Formats: sequence, C-alpha cells, structure tokens
Amino acid sequence: MLKKTEIQELLNEALLTGADFAEIFLEDTESSSIRVTSGDVTSIDRANVHGAGVRLIQGVDEVYGFTNHVSYESILGVVKNLRVSFSGELTKVKSLGEKKPYTDNIKKPMNSVSVEEKSVVLQSLSNQIKNYDARIVQAITMMLETEQNILVANSEGVYQDDKRTYTRVMLMAVAQENGVMQQAYEGPGRYMGFEIFDAVDMKSLADEVAKSAIMLLSAEDMTAQVMPVVLHNGFGGVIFHEACGHPLEATAVAKGLSPFVGKLGQKVGSDLVTAYDDGNVEGAWGRLSYDDEGKETQKNLLIENGVLKGYLIDYRNARKMNMDTTGSGRRQSYKFSPTSRMNSTYIAPGKDKFEDIIKDTKYGLFARKLGGGTVVPATGEFNFAVQEGYMIEDGKLTRPVRGAMLIGHGKDVLFKIDKVSDNLEFGQGMCGSLSGSIPVDVGQPTIRVSSMTVGGSGGKK
Amino acid sequence: MYQNWIDLGLKKGITDLEVFAVRNKSLKLSVYQNKLDQHVQSDVESITIRGIYENKLSTVRFENLSDSNVDHLLDQLKANAKALTVVEPAIIFEGSESYPEVKDELFDFGSIPVIQKIDLLKNLEQKILANSSVTQVQSSIYQEVDTETTLVNSKGLHLSRHNTYAYAYAIGVFQKDDDIKTAYDIKLAKNFNEFDINQMAETTVTKGVAMLGGTSIRSGEYPVVFSNEMFADILEVFSSIFSGEAAYRNMTFLKDKVNQQIAGSDINLVDDPLHPDAHFKTGFDDEGVACSKRYIVENGVFKGFNHNLKTAAIFKEKPTGNGFRGGISTTNFFLEPQEKDFDTLISDIKDGVYITDMVGLHAGVKTVSGEFSLQASGFKIKNGKLDHPVKMIVVSGNFFEAINRVKGIGSDLKFGLSGVGSPSVYVESLMIGGGA
Repeated sequence: MLKKTEIQELLNEALLTGADFAEIFLEDTESSSIRVTSGDVTSIDRANVHGAGVRLIQGVDEVYGFTNHVSYESILGVVKNLRVSFSGELTKVKSLGEKKPYTDNIKKPMNSVSVEEKSVVLQSLSNQIKNYDARIVQAITMMLETEQNILVANSEGVYQDDKRTYTRVMLMAVAQENGVMQQAYEGPGRYMGFEIFDAVDMKSLADEVAKSAIMLLSAEDMTAQVMPVVLHNGFGGVIFHEACGHPLEATAVAKGLSPFVGKLGQKVGSDLVTAYDDGNVEGAWGRLSYDDEGKETQKNLLIENGVLKGYLIDYRNARKMNMDTTGSGRRQSYKFSPTSRMNSTYIAPGKDKFEDIIKDTKYGLFARKLGGGTVVPATGEFNFAVQEGYMIEDGKLTRPVRGAMLIGHGKDVLFKIDKVSDNLEFGQGMCGSLSGSIPVDVGQPTIRVSSMTVGGSGGKK
Repeated sequence: MYQNWIDLGLKKGITDLEVFAVRNKSLKLSVYQNKLDQHVQSDVESITIRGIYENKLSTVRFENLSDSNVDHLLDQLKANAKALTVVEPAIIFEGSESYPEVKDELFDFGSIPVIQKIDLLKNLEQKILANSSVTQVQSSIYQEVDTETTLVNSKGLHLSRHNTYAYAYAIGVFQKDDDIKTAYDIKLAKNFNEFDINQMAETTVTKGVAMLGGTSIRSGEYPVVFSNEMFADILEVFSSIFSGEAAYRNMTFLKDKVNQQIAGSDINLVDDPLHPDAHFKTGFDDEGVACSKRYIVENGVFKGFNHNLKTAAIFKEKPTGNGFRGGISTTNFFLEPQEKDFDTLISDIKDGVYITDMVGLHAGVKTVSGEFSLQASGFKIKNGKLDHPVKMIVVSGNFFEAINRVKGIGSDLKFGLSGVGSPSVYVESLMIGGGA
C-alpha cells in the first residue's frame, strides 16, 4: 500500500490540468470458495483482486483508469494519462484528513478457521440433503468467503479505509423421478465470517432445499393468466428491488430515465407502502461502514405511506442533480467507477397477518420463493421468476406450481399492493449494474399485489 | 517471471504447475448529450495458477504479482489441494500434437486518436436523435479491448494468443404517447474502419420505431418464431447442459443420452472455434488442448459432451478443447442455418408471435429441467406476415421439447458477442402469458 504523503502528491498531480475532483481507490481482496458435491470436497480455490482505480471529475465529466500495479510510479502514469482530458483552472486539493474507525466485529475471519473445519460442516449439510430422499440425485453445498480491504482518498480531504467481510453459503438439491429433473437452492449470506453458521439455521435450510426440489417434481406447470399474487417475505423483496429500487438510483434519475423522475413528494404507491434502503444493518449481507467513495453509510427513506421521499445518490450524480449524496456510492472492485447502488432495500412491515392474507384471497398465486429478476429502468418494465409457488383457492393453499414468471410495470405495481403483513425478512443476492456485481439484501414482509401478469407453460391443450 | 513461479512451486513439492496469464488493456468511452460522459482506461494482468499436490488439483487466481504474494498463494494451493477429500483426474497437459492456425486480424485500435472515437459516438447519437420518435439517447458506448494470453506449464508447454476488437452501440429511447421503448444494435469490429455510423443508426431506429405502440396479447398457445439473436440467447443459456462436468455431476437431463435422438432431425448444433463468421477464434483452450470443429448434435442425434481434461479422463474420452475458465464451455456454438429466408419461414403461420427481445435470462431458465419462462416482446404474425408489435408477454416452454418441435430454420445465421450463433427459428407452439 502507498504512504499517505504519496497519495496526497498523486491527488495534487491529478488536479494540475483542470479537474476539480480527484479520487484514488486502492483495493486488496482475498476470497475463497469451497465446493462439496454429494458429500465430497471437490474443489477449493482461492482468488485475489488487487489494484488501484483513479477518478478525475471536472464539473460532471468523469474519466476513470485502473491498473493492478499498485505503486506510486504506476498510479502516476494512470493520473497523467487521465488528466490530459481536462483543461482549466486549478482547484486546490484539501489536505487528507484522518481515517475514522470502521466497524470490525467479525468473530471468525476467513483465515482463522481451517479449510478442513469449514469443509466438514459443508459435507455434513450436503449429506443431509442427499439423504433426505432417494430421489435426490445431487446435493451441492458451497461456501464463498470474501475479505475486501479498501482505502479511498480524494481531493476533498476524504481518507478512509474499510474492511468488508462477506460469507455466503449455497445449498442446492437436484431431484429426479420418471425423467423429470428439478432443482432448488438457498443462498444465505451475511456481513460475517464463519460465525454465519451460528447466525443462520443451515440445517433447517438444507431440509427446505431438499423438500422443495422433491415438491417441484410433482408440481404442475403454471398456467399463464392475470391474477392476484401473494409474494412471501424475504427474497420476495426482489419485486421492490427491481420495480422501484433500480429506478430510484441516481444513475437512472439523473438522466431522466426513470418513472420516478420529478415525483418527490408525490404519491407513487398505495398508502401501505413505506420503503427504505439501509446501508448499515448490523451483520447484513448488503451493509458497509463506509461506501466506496468514503462516505459513511446511512438509512435512507425512499417511500413513506406511498409518497416518494428520496433517491439513492452518489458523488457525481449529486453534482448533476444538485442534491446530497446518500452514502450509496458502490462498486464491485477497483475495476469500476462507483455509482449509486442499493444496500439493504426493503418494504417496511405493515399490520396484516400472513394467514389472514391467504384467507382473504379467493383465487391467486402464492409465490413462496422468488428467483432473480430484471428491470429496464427507462421503461420500468420488470420481471422475476418464482422458484416455489402454490395456487390459492378459496383462501387455502392448494396445488404446487412451477415455472411461473411474473412481469409488471414499476409505476403500477406499487399502487396495486393491497396487503402488507408484519413478518419482515431479508433475502440475499448479487446485484449487477453499471458498477459491477455487489452483495445486496432485498426484503419485505409478505405482501399481496392485486393483479399481475403471470407466465408459465401449463394449460396446453 | 512465470517460469520462476513454476520453479518455486516445484520446490515446494507441487508435482505439476501451470501458469495462465491474461493481460487485458481496454479503453471505454461513453457519450451523452453530445458530451463525453465517461472515459475509462485500464491495463490489468491477472494470473491463474493450477497445481497438483498429492494427486489433487487446486487453483489460485491473483492480480498482486509480488513474489511474496505468489509464495503465500502457492502455500495455500498446497493446503487446499490437501483438503480435497476425493481424488479426481488431475492433469497438467503436455500439449496436443498440432494446433490449428488462427487467421485473425490484429488491428491496433490504440493508433486511432481518441477524439475520432468520441466523434464516432457523437455522430451516432446525433443520427439516432434525428428521428422524431427518439426522445433521447440513453448512452453511446465504444469499447476497445486488447487481450494477450500466455500459458506456460511444468510439462514444457508454452502457448500464446493475442486478440483485439472493439464494439460500439447507442441505446435510443423511443416514445409514442405513453409508450416508452429502448433499442440498440451492437456492432463488433476487428478493424476501426468497419464502423458504419449510418447503418448502425438506421438499424437502431428501425428496431425502436417498429416496437412502439406494442400491446399485450391474450394468454394462450401460439406458434412462435424467435429472431436469430433471441434463439442464440436461448442456446447460450442451455449450452451448459452439453458439459461433461454437468454429466459427471448429474446436472443434465442428457446424461446417458449419447448417440440418442434428442431433437428433430433437422437440428445440427456445432461448436466451431474457427468459424469464419464468428467474432472470436481460438486454436487452444485454457488448458492448452487444441480446439477443433465438432458436431454436438447432428441430425438431431446427441454426439457427446464437451470435455476438459478432467471430464475426458473420467469418461475415458478425448478432451474436446472446451476447458475454459476452470470449467467447460463452448467456443463458437451455433445452430446450422437452412435455406428459408425470413418471409418464407413465417409464411404459413396464421396467428403467431415473432420474438425479438427477451429479458431476464439469468432468472427465468432452469437448465437442469429445460424449462424456460421469459419476459418478451416482438410482433404478432398474422396470415403469414408481421403484424402489430406486442410487449409485456411471457414466453414459456421446455428447451428439450422445443428442439423436437422446430418447424422451420432460417438462413440468417448471426453470431453474438458471446460466441453463440443462430438463424431465426420457428417452434410449432409455445405458451404465451399476456393479458386477460
């Protein structure tokens, strides 16, 4: 790593030709992946991401460069290449301040537990899935661990380091019967080390995954139709993530490419909807002490009782939008310039009870587990897949269904939420966008959307 | 440097080692509202070392090239290999007998002044904006990439390849009344002079304008034609079912189906590392095995899995040159075209759907079972001709069923940036989810 005085000098160099903001981002990340296949430890790999990213801004114009050679000379080379893009008056660089402490309460960091000890736990979970039912033909468990060390310094005096520890466990089952194959998975993740196994009941999840794969063998193909959909808590929050989270990011808003542009203070959803993006939920997969621009993360109110209250804003878009940053500048690694992204995004709990929502639904789909989704922010059209679903008939869960795909429009769906229960939970995912793939939480209590287009291959003549 | 690392590993008791080095230089420019919006330049060298210890193989990847880091990682490689509980074939390859010659242009995109590239984007943006349905151009992007790959191992193999290319596109935002649509057309070039702004703008505008005013359609079963780009997307997500690793791990429906009829007799799926129309060509895979053209499905019969060194040894077959990025993947994988032009292909469809866009392929596909369910848009087909645009529909079916119900294959083979290619494909019927 570089000395503080060297970083200060590099920032001075960066502003020489007229840029009014310069930032240096240094990263050294270690990660490990252990994979167990039907009880056998079949691969253990290790990876290291290491490099420096340099960003110069003049007004709202930005140039970015990166290299894996982290030395004063090599970063100076990048700075010199980048600064030729600008010409203008000299902006004075502020002296770098002092680092502020970051939260570091990891109990069992990656390198404090042996690969053997981790493997044994994964093997036991894999065997548990495999032995659940004779129809399970494959049981894969994985542990992905990442320890990211960063330092961000900029010409406005920010000098901040942070250490992020992420651990994710993947549990997957493949079931087969009479030529039909089905798969199910769970992927709990936390801002934790090996203590994730104390925080999450992995054994119950392993049973759930096996049960889900077996259940899918006999599930009917979903029949395409428009119907009420009850979206379960936890990963069901992917609906808000896709339909509203992305369109509330400054990357979309600053260009006017979002249905939420110019709607602050206006009604964008039903009274039942209050939603947050929180950058600092203790132990959460999507948390950070400081964002990738060195700003302390915070809890951002997005929507309150259906009224739009805020966007997610990074440094550069704050300039474009003439608003404050929200601690939402994130990037996958030094290979990306940071931009506005989500952390832990969720719909706040309401007053309804889960059982009552089902009872109150005459006919509909209960999406118990959701898969991934996509949104095109410019059009607001989004989709997401149902991993495990059940038909609701006369207020009761009846047949399991598979292959359902839900589609909708961001500006409509929030108005169609007519039930919000009190059972808020988070689910974890990797979110891909302009600044790469980053860990995020999605979350919600069980909600009901009064009408959605549901696709599926069932109902053939 | 690489040889030193190999020597260090051997000294540590690692039996065999291989260094796979990729140096990637790139320039990315983006223009928005006639101004340079983003300019990103990079130079990154990343290394993968595979090593065999106690007959088991483990991998480390890194970007910190300091000797102390390599020393530390080689120790970890040993510890990780030791912790594997099962001995599977672990091979560092001495090399194939011969390697095909790759004829590919190496153009120095760096020799073109940056200002010329920015102008290209500004012009592209202006030309698209000239259309009255375009409200703005979301961004115009140019990227050039120069990749040098080197493979050195303790068996004495030393191979290298060099590849240069650039691509450009602009995302137009089209609006008519309340309906908003985005459209773009990516042009990949091996030489800077291949960029034809007029044509790129025209294609983008034609795509966008045609889609405006789309409506949903009634849910039901329809004959479906996929555009060449969309069927290539489907082939791409399902390409993993042909992997020997998937077969070994019980993760494919095709296990035990080698030499059986799995598709209609007009289906020929080919993997061709040197196909003249493909954007990327390679003579060897990431394990140093020579690549060659191979039929994966021939006249509907499944001819065999794609293998890397490990799965080939497990199945006692020859490696097929498909060992990439530590796993198995195709090179240039495509469905062989037939004679029909597009108009003839759709001429006997009375009431069908032509799909030109799909969203959410990472979520709406289950490779193990073959099921897919995807948000889509395109056009209605009425009495053999394209009719009004449709949007917000879901197309659902099963890949294994669909390839048995192909009623027509077009002549318009097109390769995407991912290396997967297809002509337009007419599937007898699929379920469409739409409005009531």
